[in-house]
Amino acid sequence: MTIDETALSGLRSTLAADDYRMAVAEAGDTVEVTITAGPAACDDCLVPKPIMRNILHAALGVPEDAIVLVYPADVS
Amino acid sequence: MFEAMIDPTGGPAAASAGPRLAARPARLDGLVVGLVANPKKNAEPFLDAVGELLAAEHGTADVVRTRKTSITDPIPQATLDELVQRCDVVLIGVGDCGSCSAAAVADGIAFEAAGVPAAVICSDAFRVSADAMARVQGSPGYTYVTTPHPVAPLDADGVRDRARTALPELVGLLTEVPVPAAVSG
Repeated sequence: MTIDETALSGLRSTLAADDYRMAVAEAGDTVEVTITAGPAACDDCLVPKPIMRNILHAALGVPEDAIVLVYPADVS
Repeated sequence: MFEAMIDPTGGPAAASAGPRLAARPARLDGLVVGLVANPKKNAEPFLDAVGELLAAEHGTADVVRTRKTSITDPIPQATLDELVQRCDVVLIGVGDCGSCSAAAVADGIAFEAAGVPAAVICSDAFRVSADAMARVQGSPGYTYVTTPHPVAPLDADGVRDRARTALPELVGLLTEVPVPAAVSG
């Protein structure tokens, strides 16, 4: 599995507009995607996880159930 | 936590060949326009400005305003039902963040399914989330109008300018069957 940064660039721009950042890491057959919030991020502005998984599936071409998604609220 | 709090998707992705759209009126004169604003700053002034332009230049008869209380949730069913009864067309916006852009598209698709033509406004930074919601809702390529990001910091004149710029596309969406946007992903 190779992470296509070009495919992720649109999502990164969208997240940045709400002051969120994204880290993507391969882990065997899964991809771990961690979203972190900047100081100007609004808690409610991040899309629901089903939408984010759809975006990541479209960008990365990996099954949605192979995406481990970590939102800021998951680690706070 | 987020999945439990905010899931306006209505469940797993539905298969569909494309957007399901309501029949369009040929003209807007004499019609009642629903204005569905989210709680983001400048959403209501933007929609009000479009409503005023529609009345002045296209002869719409009246507006029915509603303000959602949630950025992320879809429009409540009871509110949707009321607007479907009272309105001939609806404007929805302004999607000026990731979740509210997605929710605006979900609302637009819901109105179309209920037989009311809808025009959704999102700021251009959030196409990715708006398009994803359209896919998840089974309406890939759902067409909406974009305005430059951001909208929230604009002053009153800036909001009116944006409304003026968006007006032709909004009228087009409400009166012509939109050509679905190119579907990616």
